[in-house]
Amino acid sequence: MRVAFFAVHFSFILLVCLRDTFSVLAESATFFPRSLDRYWRAGQAITSVPLGETLSVDNPIRQGIAAYLRGAGIEAGYGYFAPNVPDNYKIVFELHYPDGRTDYELPRVGGAATGLRLSSLLDRIAEETYEPLRATFVRMLAYSIWQDHQDAMSIRAVVGYVELPDPDEFERGQKESYHALFAYDFDFSKAKSLGR
Amino acid sequence: MQSRKLRCKLQCFLFPSETDHWLTLLRIGLALQILLYCLSLRSDWFQLFAGEGHGLISSDLTEAIVSAETVFTPRVGWIVVAGNYLGLDQDSILWFVWGCLVCGALCLLAGILSRSAAVLVWFLHLCTANSAALFSYGVDNFTSIGLFYLMLAPLPDQWSLDARIRHATPKDHRAQGFHRRILQMHMCLIYFFGGIAKSVGVGWWNGTSLWRALTRPPLNVIPPDFLIVGKNVLPVLGILVCIAETGYPFFIWPTKSRPVWFTFIIGMHVAIGIAMGMYLFALIMVVLNTAAFGPGLIGAKKVTLKEQAIVSR
Repeated sequence: MRVAFFAVHFSFILLVCLRDTFSVLAESATFFPRSLDRYWRAGQAITSVPLGETLSVDNPIRQGIAAYLRGAGIEAGYGYFAPNVPDNYKIVFELHYPDGRTDYELPRVGGAATGLRLSSLLDRIAEETYEPLRATFVRMLAYSIWQDHQDAMSIRAVVGYVELPDPDEFERGQKESYHALFAYDFDFSKAKSLGR
Repeated sequence: MQSRKLRCKLQCFLFPSETDHWLTLLRIGLALQILLYCLSLRSDWFQLFAGEGHGLISSDLTEAIVSAETVFTPRVGWIVVAGNYLGLDQDSILWFVWGCLVCGALCLLAGILSRSAAVLVWFLHLCTANSAALFSYGVDNFTSIGLFYLMLAPLPDQWSLDARIRHATPKDHRAQGFHRRILQMHMCLIYFFGGIAKSVGVGWWNGTSLWRALTRPPLNVIPPDFLIVGKNVLPVLGILVCIAETGYPFFIWPTKSRPVWFTFIIGMHVAIGIAMGMYLFALIMVVLNTAAFGPGLIGAKKVTLKEQAIVSR
């Protein structure tokens, strides 16, 4: 019984690790030539089969495997900061007031531990490919900012990445630069009148 | 004959006779990890787990995304629904979850009702990790892994209050060995695949990945003006990280190389904690490594078959 559990459990860990490693190889800049990408994708597809990922979403086997993986904390591989350290994303809120004044705000959290988590959230927002979902995330963050600035009529949220200088550039005095990726405008004038 | 020999070898590898020191380390380490997790998120607890219109990102949305994968994913929303049924509001329920996690962690720390506390803490931590999945990073996965193994492990260990006060019988040494072996092998896979994934990127060989990791907000604890002094050491350190991680499954088992590899890996995690401000991440990795490979290293004696026979009599 124990050996059977061991075999199944380790097969899952191994499959998840292989799937994520193939994904890193297929989607990121690595030493390998791009011509090998199709093989990495094939590897990723093959390892997804025993994990039930090719079954329909409501299939009980797929649901059961996914629940087990989440319960055991083994649903993701271990390629942190791999193969390269990702870009650093930032969100800036531009608050517009009725008197024409403009203020700038960043998302605020109470502690450093949540600051690290906020950085994970920004990575996910910037890398989200489904546009309506990304807009929803940004709108929620904008709303949390508006709650502290209820005089603001509208908020423009700009998601961008910070390009950090490499060691040589830093030595030459080059500073970090900010590049906008997406911008969203949210009108809170109605929310304000409803709130009052 | 050959297959019988192989089976015997496999049996000896999977079920070595071990003391429960590793389990004590895992129990206490995870208890501290959960206590620090709760304390560090205390000021943002409501922001992270509140529903629509209250938190940074509504946990309703996060839970909807997570449950699209599987409806069986434990989440804070389940507890909120149960609490609402009893007439409690969201604030009270979220603080109740926080309180239960702290109490569970304190029970684990002391070793009181070890099994129940381990199951409770695993479940509640999983709920919080899933409900704030958009905010999660490696630390949550590793904590879930540790708690999952702790929950299944042969508790209570001899240093727990359960064993001392209630005279709960210490479990069979082969079961201890088997559960420790699972953790050890999992650690090997974690480092091996982590190391491989880093090694295929150019940045880990020329030092730029390490530089970027150390200068990337909010991990930029050390000022870049100070880091630039050691610019030439960065490529060496980057390569050492790749070697240490990929080589972990090969060098952590032999008794001669184990102390060196173990010390380097622990040193690396302590350095990550200090230099990047990732204290919780550093702690969970130190706890898992110490539980997996620490006891044999610091001189805990292995239980012989003869001793085991005496214990089980």
